Amino acid sequence: MIDFRGLTRGEEGFEKAIEQICLATWEPLYRYIYYRVQNRAESEDILQETYVKALTYFQEHQVPREEALKFMKAVALNEMRDRWRRKKRQGLPVHLEAINPEEAAARDQQNIVTRRLLLENALQRLSADQQAILDLRIIKGYSVAETARLVGKTVAAVRTAQHRALHTLAQLLEQDDLMEGEV
Amino acid sequence: MDIEKRISDYIDALNEEREPEEKEEASPDLERLFKTIRLVRTLKEPAMPDPAYPQRLVKIVAGRLNGLQPGSCRSAKTGKEKAAPRRFGRRFWTPAAALAACLLLGFLLVTRAGLFKGDTVYAMEKAVARLAGYQGVLEIRSENAAGEVWLNCRVEIWSDSERYAVRQEDGTLTVNNGERKWQLSPQSKTVTVQPLLPDSMGFDLRDEAARARQYPHTIAGVDTVADRKATKLEITPPGGLAYYLWIDAETNLPVQLQTAMHNALQTTYTFVSFEPNATVDPRLFVYEVPEGYTVVESDPGVLVATVEEAAAISGLAPLLPREAPQRILAFPDRIVMDYGDTTIVELKATGVFEPEATAALGSAAGGPLEVCWERLRWRQEGLEIAVEGPQRLELARQLTADLTLPDPDADLTGKARVKVPVDYELARANQQQVDGGSSPWQLDPLQVALTFVNLLVTPEGITGEPQIAMTSFSPVANNGVEAVVAVDAGPVQYVYLKRLIRQDESGIWSVVGYDPR
Repeated sequence: MIDFRGLTRGEEGFEKAIEQICLATWEPLYRYIYYRVQNRAESEDILQETYVKALTYFQEHQVPREEALKFMKAVALNEMRDRWRRKKRQGLPVHLEAINPEEAAARDQQNIVTRRLLLENALQRLSADQQAILDLRIIKGYSVAETARLVGKTVAAVRTAQHRALHTLAQLLEQDDLMEGEV
Repeated sequence: MDIEKRISDYIDALNEEREPEEKEEASPDLERLFKTIRLVRTLKEPAMPDPAYPQRLVKIVAGRLNGLQPGSCRSAKTGKEKAAPRRFGRRFWTPAAALAACLLLGFLLVTRAGLFKGDTVYAMEKAVARLAGYQGVLEIRSENAAGEVWLNCRVEIWSDSERYAVRQEDGTLTVNNGERKWQLSPQSKTVTVQPLLPDSMGFDLRDEAARARQYPHTIAGVDTVADRKATKLEITPPGGLAYYLWIDAETNLPVQLQTAMHNALQTTYTFVSFEPNATVDPRLFVYEVPEGYTVVESDPGVLVATVEEAAAISGLAPLLPREAPQRILAFPDRIVMDYGDTTIVELKATGVFEPEATAALGSAAGGPLEVCWERLRWRQEGLEIAVEGPQRLELARQLTADLTLPDPDADLTGKARVKVPVDYELARANQQQVDGGSSPWQLDPLQVALTFVNLLVTPEGITGEPQIAMTSFSPVANNGVEAVVAVDAGPVQYVYLKRLIRQDESGIWSVVGYDPR
């Protein structure tokens, strides 16, 4: 349980309070961030910024304890949006649509479970070859050359099959409205 | 650049945990495919920070909040200071930081970017396949959630093809020569003959190589194990917790295995010495009773050549899959069929079939099917059949055509007449408690239903024996994600439950609804 006592700078137990909050919440927050950014280093950076911002806010404002994690997720989401916006200015794509962070954080769990089920269902509708290639390349993390060796195809054939599989999957996901929203 | 190449580069970048570099703006169609890739990747367990990360994070956050480091921040990734005051939205690279970045980049290129990623597992498979025999010393240590580590045991192992011998510190020697398994105890001066099957060495090199290949895995770094350089693999069984396998960089053989934390305990198996392709003295595998020793037979079973022999010994009329077993072991009351990594046990069905409370339920041969971890169990033609191991589904389907696995998409809880509001944060906290070894009853839907119903009856709390006893609760359906429990006494007829946080055997159950009686 999150405890905000002692979260006033200079007070005895200040660092203990920070430790208690971070240790109780870092993992769900990290998973929440990683799910969206898909990159460990960036997730760690965003998490660090999230704590600094959220805990600074907690020092001066009252947030119900049971809302603290949701609040921190909203802060994390804002941080991610800021980063994506900055990248857009640098010519990189924006992956996140404008959404209400509080709402997004609150419905996060239901969304993840539902999306996962829909996604698995869509993957099963691909051909066995296509499923195997996406599994090896994206889930298991094999290189194109390794995948080619495993499925007995050439590197060029794997790249083509991968492209087609993703194209078909994107269409299936669009039918399920899975291409809406963040990630 | 060619679109197929750009897609591949994008996947490679994500696999290597780096940000994809896009030299030219992606078209809407390409961006759509990138998004599809990221979506598929959400099915994968996140790459978690190293174990020391949370404490580093605490220090950095505390330091920044204390204002001890104005204008600078520390990276919790490395613990090193970054001259990068983010608030100005610009990075200032000092020569030292640039050098550190180069070193880090070099490290990442060597360890993560594919120089041996993936090939590690191939190489291990090949090395294990080539391994004729070995001898080594294996240490087994446990660690609890509080971080306390202790040595469970240290054993010597000799393995030669399918035969093995294990000597414990007290001198007890267990030998399996493929035809017979026995344990020689110098302290009690006994030779105990044991059943050949099921048989497990705890850390079997071939099994580990096969699992690493089969399950999603990533290279988590390079480590030193027993003074040897080893590649650390993070292996994530679908729906399960990640565990680690270290592969010797020189021999390409597994040298250490660390299980996931289960019930607040984690076990690490380490080969502190290992000699591949060692010449093992064949006399070690010869069954001999030393002088002065007595023989104890603990229902060892009989290795038989045909099913008819097994039927004659067990008195059962066994059911056989199309695929022939490698070995058949017959006991007076059961038959065990060995398929390498999977076994089928058939025994006479007696009493009422009671699936484990934590198991998901499907159906087979017109009755319930228990699905629990790697085991399927059901009753058919007067037999109770349990199939355990990776080939369980394939073999079970050869025994019964009408086998239906629990459908995790089935809506079991939607028809609850009274909905119970769920508190995800509380459920998350409870899940963490259970992961830490507390309140394991939350893994059992019957226990959760019992607590819920009794708290409805006595809202002030349960003292002593609950008013509605456990005998009144029985599972009706369980697809592994949702469950329904029937209650045959008291104000509630059915309780509807859901695994809100984690949908596998380690996930806790929460009540989401009920039907009043």
